[in-house]
Amino acid sequence: MAEMIIKNGVVYDPKNGIDGEKNEICIKDGKIVENVGAGAKIVDAEGCVVMAGGVDGHTHCAGKINTGRIMSPHDMRYAPIPGLSGEEPRTKLLRPQVGYNTPNTYAIGYRYSKLGYTSIAEAAITPMMARHMHEEFEEIPILDKLGLVLMGSNWQVMQYIQDKDPEKLKAYMAWVLLAARGYGVKVVNPGGGSSWTWGKNVSGLDDKVVDFDVTPADILIGLAEANEALNLPHSIHVHCNNLGMPGNISTTLDTMKLLEKVKTKRDRQVMHVTHVQFNAYTGTSWMDFASGAQDVAEYINKHDHITFDMGQLMFGPAMTMTADGPTEYRNARMFDAKWSNYDQELEDAGGVVPLSYTSQHFAHATMWAIGLELALLVKDPWKVMFTTDNPNGGAFVNYPEGQALLMSDKKRQEVIAGFPDMTMDRITLPNIDRELDWGEIATMTRAMSAKMLGLEEKGHLGVGADADVAIYNIQPDKVDPSVEHEKIKKALSFAKYTIKSGEIVVRDGEITATPKGKVYWVNAYENGIAQGEKDRLMTDLEERFAKYYSIQLSNYMVEDAYLPRPVEIRPEVI
Amino acid sequence: MQTVTLTPKRSPTISIEAENITPDAFAGKSTAEIGAITAWEGNEEITLADIFDVAVDGSGDAAGTKIVIDGDVPRVKRIGEAMTAGEIVIKGNVDMRCGARMSGGSITVEGNADSWVGREMTGGEILVKGNAAYYAGGGYRGETCGMRGGKLTIEGDVLDFLGEHMCGGEIIVKGNARLLPGVLNWSGTITIEGDTTLPGGEMKSGTIFVKGKVLEMLPSYRDEGTEEVDGVTYRKYTGDLSRNGEGVLYVSV
Amino acid sequence: MPVIKDVVCTLCGCLCDDLEATVEDNKITKVGKACKLGRAKTMGPFLHERIEKPMIRENGELKECSYDEAITKAAEILVAAKRPMSYGWCSTSCEAIEKAILLAEETGSLIDSTANVCHGPSALAAQEKGAPSCSLGTAKNYADLIIFWGCNPVHAHPRHQTRYSTMAKGAFTPNGKKDKKMVVVDPRNTDTAKKADLLLQLKPGTDYVLIEALRAIVNGHEDVLPDEIAGLPKAKVLELAEMCKAAKFGIIYFGMGITQTRGRYKSGDNVSSLISDLNQITKFVMIGMRGHYNVTGFGQVASWETGFPMAIDFSRGYPYYNPGETGTNDVLMRREVDAFITGAADPGAHFPQESVKHLFKIPAIQIDGYANPTTEFSDVVIPAAIAGVECDGTAYRMDCQPIRMKKLVETTFKTDEEILTEIIAKVRELKGNGAKGGA
Repeated sequence: MAEMIIKNGVVYDPKNGIDGEKNEICIKDGKIVENVGAGAKIVDAEGCVVMAGGVDGHTHCAGKINTGRIMSPHDMRYAPIPGLSGEEPRTKLLRPQVGYNTPNTYAIGYRYSKLGYTSIAEAAITPMMARHMHEEFEEIPILDKLGLVLMGSNWQVMQYIQDKDPEKLKAYMAWVLLAARGYGVKVVNPGGGSSWTWGKNVSGLDDKVVDFDVTPADILIGLAEANEALNLPHSIHVHCNNLGMPGNISTTLDTMKLLEKVKTKRDRQVMHVTHVQFNAYTGTSWMDFASGAQDVAEYINKHDHITFDMGQLMFGPAMTMTADGPTEYRNARMFDAKWSNYDQELEDAGGVVPLSYTSQHFAHATMWAIGLELALLVKDPWKVMFTTDNPNGGAFVNYPEGQALLMSDKKRQEVIAGFPDMTMDRITLPNIDRELDWGEIATMTRAMSAKMLGLEEKGHLGVGADADVAIYNIQPDKVDPSVEHEKIKKALSFAKYTIKSGEIVVRDGEITATPKGKVYWVNAYENGIAQGEKDRLMTDLEERFAKYYSIQLSNYMVEDAYLPRPVEIRPEVI
Repeated sequence: MQTVTLTPKRSPTISIEAENITPDAFAGKSTAEIGAITAWEGNEEITLADIFDVAVDGSGDAAGTKIVIDGDVPRVKRIGEAMTAGEIVIKGNVDMRCGARMSGGSITVEGNADSWVGREMTGGEILVKGNAAYYAGGGYRGETCGMRGGKLTIEGDVLDFLGEHMCGGEIIVKGNARLLPGVLNWSGTITIEGDTTLPGGEMKSGTIFVKGKVLEMLPSYRDEGTEEVDGVTYRKYTGDLSRNGEGVLYVSV
Repeated sequence: MPVIKDVVCTLCGCLCDDLEATVEDNKITKVGKACKLGRAKTMGPFLHERIEKPMIRENGELKECSYDEAITKAAEILVAAKRPMSYGWCSTSCEAIEKAILLAEETGSLIDSTANVCHGPSALAAQEKGAPSCSLGTAKNYADLIIFWGCNPVHAHPRHQTRYSTMAKGAFTPNGKKDKKMVVVDPRNTDTAKKADLLLQLKPGTDYVLIEALRAIVNGHEDVLPDEIAGLPKAKVLELAEMCKAAKFGIIYFGMGITQTRGRYKSGDNVSSLISDLNQITKFVMIGMRGHYNVTGFGQVASWETGFPMAIDFSRGYPYYNPGETGTNDVLMRREVDAFITGAADPGAHFPQESVKHLFKIPAIQIDGYANPTTEFSDVVIPAAIAGVECDGTAYRMDCQPIRMKKLVETTFKTDEEILTEIIAKVRELKGNGAKGGA
């Protein structure tokens, strides 16, 4: 019923080819429409940049983050960014907020909204733990959410690939998404999560997983082909083997090359590679490690089957949390840091370790540069998503800082000037003067992430899109992002308006309403798998649950009660 | 010079959180202004005038401000929190977290101090003439580093976890330290003139002197023989080898 | 007679989810597959007397009243208080816990779980060192060395050893006990210890010392260790260390022997460090043997809602956390608390004398299915449905696995979640009318 019209703003809507035009946006009943009546509420965006609400396609925001919280009571008072971190008492409208790297659920919802983001994707959850993710989702206000389900070190996945049974694999993957009410397929250090249960790892794409006769390459191809056969909205979403290790650039490039042979019928990538910064190191040790961003960018510039996200580092304390169990143990020992670990039966591994990044350490300085190099050297912004792998590279409330850096060579050079000399031979950033414009930023933070995920109604402002809009207090023709880094950062930190499903939730950087968001999930099982295949799968699963799991099969599936506002997507069967 | 005298006018059972009782907050303020400064009694906001009679003499900056609490305040917490300069004298017992995050100036407690006195202090001096309870000179939950600088002296005894997570500064306890003093410390010096049990648990680095008796030693320290320091003969131990630590524990012979 | 399968037991942290409940005439007449404790809990509402009606104490006597009257009185008590305390919430659902936390927020209360007297120190250990752990199914499938440290599963977690540990058959332990070694570290020769391959009967209160010695051995410094450690001969300690190094997958299950003895959470966090050291040699993990079936759930819910797992003080409007200062007994022993609300716990039975004495003096509200020592000092008593029997909801197992409890029978009792929701509504009404309290 509610009608709204946003006037006088400068609109950036890359999907619909709008690159800085003064357009009106009409909203009715939570959707973008062609026009509205005279009585529509007017939102005056004079002097403002207008974009679709941000879509964060990779963030650790529900599930594993709770282990991070339990490990970090001191993070709750930490307030490096006023208004977006630390302790804030409850108000009539808002629940209390705490934290910086591991904020409470309310803080996550409020702060993303202040940043003008309206949709978030939990980057990694095992099927068995999905119930926990959904419980946290329910407590994150405002935002729409979805979860990516870990499958890359899963016993059934590996067994069915080993058995050369793609139909069973398909059925199983679809069933897992149903069981977890998950949206897409996440692969972390493929195979390694299973080897880690014995304290071992995989060393590369062709290294067999302990106890199985498959390699990470087999797992990636198996999952990717099944993913496309199921016609899932999102491609496989991959955290490559050998993360964080000098010389891992070869694994990363090999992984990207491996997927060249997989085809998709959808208009999108065949693989999304995540937080590539952590996987773009040349060299043989920390002494000679350097940026491999040029090699990665060169490859991506020539190939269209890959999208990736940056995994940008932000200086200061961070919290690493990932299914890459062996990497986390290595981090903990290297830095004498706290270490949490979780080996999920039959499904995957996980670790949580607090780290801190400083511009005074050549390794961190190099890593910081690599993230930016990746985004600037890849020519097509539709292949690049802006992330910090929150909170692994840094807390999401630093996104404005990172985005402002992409727009300002001057600011980047200022930061580089403070780096130790040992950094300079390792990076190419000092010689890159490209500055991204608003259209490119809009692409990397909403348009491409929505497309990459297969969320057709998000990330753009065309008719039919969800009425999720961000309005930032920046006049694009008056403020030069190249020079006014601080202004850009401030504007992106505290939106003039954030609109969610047609309702104003942020006004002048303050939360004005706290509606509850929706949870998107994909059901490719019900209609997508033949009954015969379902029966075959269930026979096997019943046996496996009885022998190996510690929970009854009937208690494993996430119940309806956990998704009060679901959006169920059934992919067309192909 | 400014002297502010706060005389307790009642004995609350519910602890008052009074982190605004600092020279920094009082400097240059009048009696009325100081009386109007907020504090919390449980979930109720109050003013200092609700619990103290306030008398101000003179005016000054933080460094030139002295606060005298003329009586027992066993239920007033966070006095002197984050102060940078000036002086506080408490003529009686004081509640938890006195002098937490202090970076300068001095606090004297003439009675006993409850737990967490000098938590995370980075400078300044605290003197407790009586006893201090748990976590004296300790850290904040979850932080690797607690006390980083300054000097904490306790003339009486302390309970468990003295100087937990210490990363700098100096602590002197003239009485006994009950259990695990200097646990998980990374740096700094602790001197215990009385007796203690299991000193230096998981010490990474730092120095602990025990002039009294060690009632129970950790099994993971290496005996390096005797050494004389400032005219006193000690048995020197290095560890804590449970974590390949390189701290030093001196125990008087 | 309908038999409901895959019922979730609501007794201990094992959270067994394979129970079978026979329901006749809206009563549970039989429970299959449960241990004695679980069966008793599940059939409890049909075996024991329970609180039938809400009550308010008048002139020392509890008098029956309506739900509405009791809820109103509870809200009035909380709104009038300056230092109200909310305690328990471990034998109820996560959904109820969320409401208990919201109520504490709105009344500027402290809120804490039963972990205060039990496994609270495990959370503290995680804060210091982290929690190197795994799921119980992984433990079942892989562990060939099982160490019970300061716990006695034979009595406290009866099905643990058959479902998850010593006798369980898993992927790499198909022969159950034959494929494993079981060690007990405990000052007492418990019933669990009697079946152990190795018992380290250490002197009480020396767990920290023993862990220090084990770490020293693992890190290559056994030469500095004395001949007697924690009341044990050095050779025995070396024997345990060797067993650990030789294991393919070791697990330490720890209980109150670690969390409640001298050094308290320092022992637990040192175990965490020992586990990290051992992982340089072989795979090792730890799991806390949580007592109440949803104490883990409280820790999880509280962490995502407030940032902290327990001992939370909302009096300043945002959560503050400092066990030793904000824990239930910390505040009760100082007699600071001026109003008390408890649900799904029995502080009257488990708290120190000093605390209970104080509880008799202040207005107290009890939300529970059964009368117990806590009822003796309660001024408002509100009967609740039993979660997992009379209403559904989420609980978290000791390994942090969330499972949905089922509703097995119909009831006319309100659930904890409903009661708390109504108290919150009443509190808002009272505060809107200018009543004081809260932030």
